[in-house]
Amino acid sequence: MNESSNTATRNSRDKILNTVHGNQPAPRELPPLPEGTPVAPGDLAPTFITALEAIGATAYIVSGFDRIATMLHEQFPGARRIVTGCPQLNAFAEAAAAAKGLDPHLLENVELAILPAHFGVAENGACWITETQMVERALPFIAQRLVLVIPHSSIVPNMHAAYDRIAALEAEAPANTYGFSTFIAGPSKTADIEQSLVLGAHGPISLTVFLLDEELSDAGYF
Amino acid sequence: MSGSNQKPLEVPEQSEGNEQGSPQWGEPKLSSDRTDFNALPEFAKLPKANSRHKQDHAALAAEFNKDEPRVDWHDETLWWVRQKRDKAAARVPEWELLRDTASRIKDNVLSNLSGYLRQFEEEATRNGITVHWAADANEHNEIVLSILSRHKIDKMVKSKSMLTEECHLNEFLHEKGIDVVDTDLGERVVQLAGEPPSHIVLPCIHLKKQEIGEIFHEHLGTPKGNADPQFLTHAARLHLREKFLTRRVALTGVNFAVAETGEFVVCTNEGNADMGAHLADVHIASMGIEKLIPQRRHLGVFLRLLTRSATGQPITTYSSHFRRPRQGQEMHIVLVDNGRSVHLGRKDFRNSLKCIRCAACFNTCPVYRRSGGHSYHTAVAGPIGSILSPNLDMKKYADLPFASTLCGSCSNVCPVKIDIHEQLYKWRQVIVQEGYAAAGKTAVMKTMNWVLSHPGVYHTAGKTGRWFMLNAPFTVKNGFNTWYRQRDMPTPPKQSFGDWYKKNKK
Ligand code: SF4
Repeated sequence: MNESSNTATRNSRDKILNTVHGNQPAPRELPPLPEGTPVAPGDLAPTFITALEAIGATAYIVSGFDRIATMLHEQFPGARRIVTGCPQLNAFAEAAAAAKGLDPHLLENVELAILPAHFGVAENGACWITETQMVERALPFIAQRLVLVIPHSSIVPNMHAAYDRIAALEAEAPANTYGFSTFIAGPSKTADIEQSLVLGAHGPISLTVFLLDEELSDAGYF
Repeated sequence: MSGSNQKPLEVPEQSEGNEQGSPQWGEPKLSSDRTDFNALPEFAKLPKANSRHKQDHAALAAEFNKDEPRVDWHDETLWWVRQKRDKAAARVPEWELLRDTASRIKDNVLSNLSGYLRQFEEEATRNGITVHWAADANEHNEIVLSILSRHKIDKMVKSKSMLTEECHLNEFLHEKGIDVVDTDLGERVVQLAGEPPSHIVLPCIHLKKQEIGEIFHEHLGTPKGNADPQFLTHAARLHLREKFLTRRVALTGVNFAVAETGEFVVCTNEGNADMGAHLADVHIASMGIEKLIPQRRHLGVFLRLLTRSATGQPITTYSSHFRRPRQGQEMHIVLVDNGRSVHLGRKDFRNSLKCIRCAACFNTCPVYRRSGGHSYHTAVAGPIGSILSPNLDMKKYADLPFASTLCGSCSNVCPVKIDIHEQLYKWRQVIVQEGYAAAGKTAVMKTMNWVLSHPGVYHTAGKTGRWFMLNAPFTVKNGFNTWYRQRDMPTPPKQSFGDWYKKNKK
């Protein structure tokens, strides 16, 4: 931008701030934040799965990545380009390292992306995924189908707890301080044409969430 | 979720079956079995629409009302969305506490907006985002153009932003030779049709799928007569994917910006904001200065309210938090005033700046549902548009505060508890006092007085007819009134309009 428009912007800045300052009402306190209706720990995963299914996604509780690999083979037999951010699945897919730093446009033909996410939210089925888990920011959106893997124990009851968890994650590790992050709740969708719901607007046409529970026995899952 | 309505939610409509290519809308029927409207005094009759310099809400609504089956369909569809909102709200036991908290957070924001703006600017800049300030629409448009020019780019994708509609950015850029592609499906539809959006959340809600099929046939080459929503959506997906992959600048709106962290949040169901932003070299985000919230944890409150109020979903598919540009990318934020700082100084009206653009007040409004978004001739239609627009241009939008029955349903559903219907009422006083009421609108006021002094007339018409007669004499003038067939009226006000009016009349 040239000098003159910079000056104009600065003038507008001061003008706006002055007018706002002059016109804003007397100080008002911030209210305390609600905690939301509590959910019993045993109900968190079932509530989350119910919410996910209601928004057009599929969820499975699994014992480990071997099991995930088997199920993905079964469910996406024809997928040609698969990229994963889960090192445990590197044998099965193109590893994150290979896709990282690529021109995001080159991800255009990814048919399946399998990415870890931090946690799920029981009240709405959303999963919180930060930039480092995405391989590339564009990947969770540009892939035809998306699979997210979250720890079974990670489900929080609602969005208030979600933001507490986000703050805790950042305090835990600087890597969790995201430049970009998103809640993903179900496959991409639209109802713009006569309110008829269609899955697969611009992003993935399906979402599968695996809840990883290492304590789980595989017995009964075959 | 399954609506009691026959409209499918979970299962997309698959086939057109034996439907005709384009619907045959019947001629409007006259309803003559009601109160004798010719008994209205002369001053209560509006001048003919085409005798006016510019058409106002009444005239435009009368136009929309000519197609009665479409009006019924529009009405029912929006009411169905409103019902989904009710169900979603009922599932959250602390709903009222959430609304109250959201409203109070916004009170705090408005009371310290200058401080939060400074804080946001500082944090966003620290994050590597370039912050711009635009005093008005024109300056906003010039800033966007200057960014494009600097990169020598003449094509851009844009996700939904009512602010850019307010600023008429598309028209501005078009004149400068810049090609803008709207990527929200509904917005793309109206863009191809050469129309503005008619609803802030459902931009093409006024169009039937057969018409959208026609538009796509003409512009995207889909087979003639195919009006299957799934097929058309897929066609748009392919068409827009090519745009996402080839455009180097993406403009998005902003739902919330966080002063504490300098990040901003964009909510979409389609993923179009993300597709645009993550594939572009330059991301421009345009936001009104009132979109700020103090802390990130406040998002918990607003994200719980926003989509439940808008469509009845528990949350949008994507709630994306942008804090830093990706490596090698440029990220800009344009903070736009365009009348907001002045509005902040209007004690009676400043609360309308709390709006989070969920459109619940549109969906519930009996006038919006039966007059259509275009009748408001402003970017943000509906009840909230009717209280925001007069601030921008009192003369031009003097008719809008009259486009209401003052039933209060808007205020009842508003997730941030804006006293919408009271502000509508207050605007009427201001507009009349300031002499901006057009002849027709003075007539509306006179009609109100006249009707109120003739209780026989307005009581016989029944509850819905009463509201209609009071506030929408344009259909009275037309001699037909589809209003009477209204099946789903909002919760009746706790007190009758007459009582309310008397109490509020100074
Ligand atoms: S005024 Fe309230 S109900 Fe209307 S769009 Fe704004 S937030 Fe939603």
